[in-house]
Amino acid sequence: MSVIKQIMWDEWRYWQRTRLAITVIITGVVLIVASVIVNAIGIQHAKHEREHLQHAAESRFAEQPDRHPHRMVHYGHYVFRTPSPLSIIEPGVDSFTGTSIFLEGHRQNTAMFADQRQSSGLTRFSSLAPSFLVQVLAPLFIVLVGYASITREKEAGTLNIMMTQGVSKRHVLTGKLFALLGAGLLLLLPMILASLWASFRGESSLVTGSYIVGYLLYILVWSGVVLGVSALSHKSSASFAGLIGLWVVLCILVPRIGSSTAAALEPSPGKLEADFAVLEELRKLGDGHNASDPAFEQLKSNLLAQYGVETVEELPINFRGTVAQYSEKKLTDVLNDFAEIRMQEELSQAQIARHFGWLSPAVAIRSFSMIVAGTSLETHHRFLREAETLRFEFVQSLNKVHQDKLDYQVDMNRSKSAETSKAARVDASNWSVLSSFSFVPEAGGVRLVQGGTYGVQLLFWFGVVVLFLNLAMRRMSE
Amino acid sequence: MISFSDLKREAAFLSKQRYVVFFLLVALALSIFSVWSGVAETRAQIDTIERLLEKDAIDREDALSKQSDYGSAAYYSFHLTYSEPSPMAFAAMGQRDIYPWKHRVRMLAIEGQIYETDADNPELSFLGRFDFAFLISVLLPLFVILLLHDLRSSEREAGRFDLLIVTAKEEKQLWLSRALTMSLALALVLLIPFLIGVLVTGASATEIGLMLLVVLGHLGLWTIITLFIGNPKRSSSQSSARIASRLLAVWLLFTVLIPVGSDTVINELVESPSGGEIVLTQREAVNDAWDVPFSETWRAFLATHPEWESKTSMNSQFEWKWYYAFQQVGDQKAAELSHGYREATQQKDTVASIVALFSPPMLTQRLMSSIAGTNISSSLAYEQRVRDYHASLRSFYYPLLFNDGEFSHQALSGMPIFGESQANEAESSD
Repeated sequence: MSVIKQIMWDEWRYWQRTRLAITVIITGVVLIVASVIVNAIGIQHAKHEREHLQHAAESRFAEQPDRHPHRMVHYGHYVFRTPSPLSIIEPGVDSFTGTSIFLEGHRQNTAMFADQRQSSGLTRFSSLAPSFLVQVLAPLFIVLVGYASITREKEAGTLNIMMTQGVSKRHVLTGKLFALLGAGLLLLLPMILASLWASFRGESSLVTGSYIVGYLLYILVWSGVVLGVSALSHKSSASFAGLIGLWVVLCILVPRIGSSTAAALEPSPGKLEADFAVLEELRKLGDGHNASDPAFEQLKSNLLAQYGVETVEELPINFRGTVAQYSEKKLTDVLNDFAEIRMQEELSQAQIARHFGWLSPAVAIRSFSMIVAGTSLETHHRFLREAETLRFEFVQSLNKVHQDKLDYQVDMNRSKSAETSKAARVDASNWSVLSSFSFVPEAGGVRLVQGGTYGVQLLFWFGVVVLFLNLAMRRMSE
Repeated sequence: MISFSDLKREAAFLSKQRYVVFFLLVALALSIFSVWSGVAETRAQIDTIERLLEKDAIDREDALSKQSDYGSAAYYSFHLTYSEPSPMAFAAMGQRDIYPWKHRVRMLAIEGQIYETDADNPELSFLGRFDFAFLISVLLPLFVILLLHDLRSSEREAGRFDLLIVTAKEEKQLWLSRALTMSLALALVLLIPFLIGVLVTGASATEIGLMLLVVLGHLGLWTIITLFIGNPKRSSSQSSARIASRLLAVWLLFTVLIPVGSDTVINELVESPSGGEIVLTQREAVNDAWDVPFSETWRAFLATHPEWESKTSMNSQFEWKWYYAFQQVGDQKAAELSHGYREATQQKDTVASIVALFSPPMLTQRLMSSIAGTNISSSLAYEQRVRDYHASLRSFYYPLLFNDGEFSHQALSGMPIFGESQANEAESSD
């Protein structure tokens, strides 16, 4: 044990002496600290802004004057997605999806105003997100610090000396690995602190715990790769070139190749095109604004029979409101079917890209990190679904008000004159049917299950690295 | 000067270096992949537009055939607008995955429709595409660094250094011709797939020339940077790995630190109205119109359309001309915010173009997407074309609505179609 410790200390002392390693580590840590701070402030700001806008939208809805209930269906409502606590580390798809949706009757709108649409366009490759720095740049830093950890000893002949003094290869490798891990942990430290802070802000500790473990595995994998390559190389220059090549492939190439492959293999038709199919279905349903549409004959005769009356005028309820409810339900079913198909398409597209995690640990940690942080495609879909639930709920409540609280005759005469139009209104107190909205990601346990595959990918990489290090130890030449 | 025979000798030497040959093959494979996926994606986009055009026309005809007044005709008919990928778009997909390139609009307030985005899968956008522009702007510098950082030290380590120096006419020339040969070989493997892609999509000679210039310029720059930092006078005692570390630091500075730092600063500097504000304003204006006296809507409408002053009398509590008038007024009320929003996007882009002067990879990427017509300005130009088209719809329908003539399907046949005639107008007004 003391031998390992000695080797570790020696390595650290060497880094301190040569300045290169220490410069790299300090640069890395400063960068990550800066990114955590800037990002945390940005997310905090966005959170407050969106919460504020949500409250404003809700109170504005409630403050609307007396109106015809269907007018409120079209007046509509806005919902905003508040960021999850861990998005201070992993903003994920947040800046690429819209963060607000306009909800109204008869339509499912897309999310609007993605941050990237209002950005300088400079951050398409890199971003200041701590996750980017740790996933992509930290491995580079570990390479720069550790590429020569074994080759240096070979070139100076000190490895031989250690061996003849009875230090085993295993000891050398373990000591050096701990040294490298130490550097990696320093890089990870700001992120770990930020995760703990997120825990403080309401994230479950199971989630933050697994989150940190995932990143630790990732750092461990890279430290192992760097050490293994160094052990297998004869010269520092070869180890360096090999590792940089590996870094380019694993951290830069594979993720993008994955995304391009997914787009090419499973091209998604897009919402606009799917909308035509929706329209076709909807035409069969009839227009809910027009109660005399033949599509509602069945509904009409059922109602007349139920109340034992001859005409819709004799019904105790407003038939137009009934039709509005009926057709909104039918329409929503169709819209939801198509929305689900579309989300499934998006998800299977994303999953193709995520499968590349078996080819690169950087892809594995990225998927894991997004899902666990609650900034993944799944969470965005959850937002869409919850927004839709709210939309359907308030539209139907308004339609019910239309049915129960507005007389049919008064309603039919609404366009005759200014007076009849005024008469065809209901009291503003009815607008309280809107329930308040505050978005939270899936429960921690659900996210961990969703991210399970990618956790397994990380473990797979861990296994690969263990085997690799074993191989390196056996093949390690002097 | 470097003679042709020098280059030939170096080329013969390189072709025997297994590492170099392997490296070049990998670069070739990557270039092929980037071009293939780019071409596949632009193809898919063009096909999508074709299918949409077909469905759009059928859908509109179907919707119009059921109408019996102009107001409903305008209400129920949607119009497809789109921006086709240029023949060069395969090389630089630019911002096309974030900014929409297709919309369906109708004659309601445009501010309520234009922000609807049929964007790509956000997770794929987040991961980023592997297009040719990415290969050239981000990866090419790394290739150059990996290939050229150890020109001298690798010879020294191979034990050929002294022999080489003795046999060379001039030392400097030897390294220069070797670096040049490697760069040219790299250029060749990267550009051949690109040129094949260009043949497939049929880009213009000017665009091809400009693109080549950008690629070669970026390659040349990194060759010079690498030779400069690896210069023996500056780093005689440095190991090849140390030189490469320095070069990587330069790469990091240019590719990550400058863009990311400037982005943060730009977002602080440029004030932009929030998008939500625009649609809220528009919605309030449009919805309030139902509750305010008609005269108020007419006053705001006539301020911009005085020609209809004599036609604003109403026979009912609902008339289509009034309905579309308050849609117009809604747009007018949100106009200032909307303008500010677009202005801010433009401004950020302008500042970014200055920042890019200090970051060669960013500059390369911006130039490439500008040649390919996939940059932010192109997206904004498309948005403007949609707005112009929407305006032309209004000027088509207003006479029909206000003059109160008999409805005829014949009159609707003159309806403006996106992309026709209007494209020329947009160009002449630029």
